[in-house]
Amino acid sequence: MIFVTLALGLVSRNSSYRSFDEPLEAAVTGLIASVETGEDGVLRLSRELPDPRYQRALSGRYWVIGTATEVVGQDRYFIIPQLSSRSLYGTLLDISNPDYAFLAEQGQEPLRFTTPGPNIDADENLRVIARQVILPNMTTPVVVLAAADRAPVIRSIQNFILTAVTLLLILTMGLIFAVYAQVRIGLRPLFALGKSIADVREGRMASVEGEYPPEIAPLATELNSLISHNKEIVDRAQTHVGNLAHALKTPIAVLRNEAAAAKTTPSRIVTKQTDIMAAQVDHHLRRARAAARGQAIGVRAEMDPVIDGLVRTLPRIYRDKGLKITKTGDPGLIFRGHPRDLEDMVGNLMDNAAKWTSSHIDVTLRKVENGLCRVRIADDGPGLTAADIETALKRGARLDEATPGSGLGLSIVKDLADAYKGSLTFSRSDAGGLQAELHLPIAIDP
Amino acid sequence: MRLLIVEDDADLSRQLKSAFKDAGYAVDVAKDGEEGHFLGDTEPYDAVILDLGLPLIDGVSVLQKWRADGKDFPVLILTARDQWSEKVAGFDAGADDYLTKPFHVEELMARLRALLRRAAGQTTDTVELGDLLVDNRAARAFIDGMAIKLTSHEFRLLSYMAAHKGRVISRTELVEHIYDQDFDRDSNTIEVFVGRLRKKIGTDRIETVRGLGYRLLDPESEGA
Repeated sequence: MIFVTLALGLVSRNSSYRSFDEPLEAAVTGLIASVETGEDGVLRLSRELPDPRYQRALSGRYWVIGTATEVVGQDRYFIIPQLSSRSLYGTLLDISNPDYAFLAEQGQEPLRFTTPGPNIDADENLRVIARQVILPNMTTPVVVLAAADRAPVIRSIQNFILTAVTLLLILTMGLIFAVYAQVRIGLRPLFALGKSIADVREGRMASVEGEYPPEIAPLATELNSLISHNKEIVDRAQTHVGNLAHALKTPIAVLRNEAAAAKTTPSRIVTKQTDIMAAQVDHHLRRARAAARGQAIGVRAEMDPVIDGLVRTLPRIYRDKGLKITKTGDPGLIFRGHPRDLEDMVGNLMDNAAKWTSSHIDVTLRKVENGLCRVRIADDGPGLTAADIETALKRGARLDEATPGSGLGLSIVKDLADAYKGSLTFSRSDAGGLQAELHLPIAIDP
Repeated sequence: MRLLIVEDDADLSRQLKSAFKDAGYAVDVAKDGEEGHFLGDTEPYDAVILDLGLPLIDGVSVLQKWRADGKDFPVLILTARDQWSEKVAGFDAGADDYLTKPFHVEELMARLRALLRRAAGQTTDTVELGDLLVDNRAARAFIDGMAIKLTSHEFRLLSYMAAHKGRVISRTELVEHIYDQDFDRDSNTIEVFVGRLRKKIGTDRIETVRGLGYRLLDPESEGA
């Protein structure tokens, strides 16, 4: 834009100046043609220049014919006028110039320069064209010059540039705006896609959704493929280990049962080894699940169905106990993680409560700050001391040998809660039993 | 008592069958979901032990079909899968208890006894009828503290009648709950077993109700 403006300005100026100089050159040529020496040796014009402005006082067009004289000591020449136009009206033109010495002979390039004009009010800026010519019957050359006020031309050039600049500026701004609008509108699907991806990552959505233009639609499709592929890989890895573990459990059960029947040394060894195998299977199965935790993107689990299932099932498992479980709190919460992990955490805590409680378990689910929820499980059993709690959280510890259980339940809950950057804490419940509080990340609507 | 064990691993099902028979049960075995479903649908079992990972039809589906058909016998799920979601699914399908592999056979037996007790409305493994004591856990019977020698079929008969004490039980029902599938059934053999049992525990303990069946008398309710 700037380049175009400057170029236009330059072109316009040059063309203006050229058309400006032409009449001046013609005037000079006309003057040279009509100047002659009289019998008294005085110069006179045989013919006036046709342009009436040379007659009008201080019109802005002037001509002078004279001899160039050097100013002593200064590198300047001035003209002693012998003939001049009426328009000068008795004033003098400041037409001294060092270049008079190099004034070309007639036929070559004339001298061109500028000088202030005689009309101070009009703020004249004169363009001067001068030639030197040797007249017949004279020995010294005379300088013939014509001058015209350029101020109007300059003003018109300035106006032109100003108008051009203004128009070009408007055009530029219009173009910038159009480009901006086009980008914003054109890129809107990308912004929408970006938001959809963020939704998936934050667990608000399970996959990228929406209608996208043909250029971007493949991207959305590929992203969804990537998400489901990722889930598949995680699930498949877990499935393989799970299948191996489960495949081993039946043979281990068979061996153990067979060995339990006989009381010989080999069978004692078999019993011991099958116990070790069973423990290894459990251990590595849990480790495989742990490795997969938090790996899948966009995994989410509705909390209500999971917890409701556990609330339904635990009284059936502990039927003889006559368990009463109540669930209250905020509905519709969504856990930002794998449903299996949520089951493990809440299930193990509720199972633990069921083992220890007298009859009641209270489960409350509340949304809290920092994008977390709080799951509180309180029983009315004997409760645990701080030392007991610490022991329970240590891997593999069992507080009460008489109460059946692998002992790994609570430490798994802690591992999982930590893996999800949540927390597990214990305290005393209102009923005097144990209260477990689990803080977990949930999907938050923006 | 008659049990059905649905388990596809041949060694495990053999072990379980043998263990339960020793404990005084009649045991039928199915090795896949289809066979298991069919047997559960057509034979009267007192309880079922059901593995979940079965060929042809999986355990949860079999259980759902049974419950939909109105079969309400107690079912204990025996499985390698120990995820909470699977336990929830099993119980939602209608299971009464759940045990994961590998397990101790004693635990399995104890839990099965618990299911049977619950079904019969009893709270302990022993049934007392006056000075007659039937111990389901030990698979033995005692009179005045003295153990009586009973064959496996005799014990099954006594145990079944004790669980339904005071109620008239038809011969057919007895046949169906005392014998497993392999046994050559002939309802006349029931009379033989009843006769033998009477001889061992006392003739007046078992009443014959003409045309209807037999009844094990409960001295408390009879006011004897």
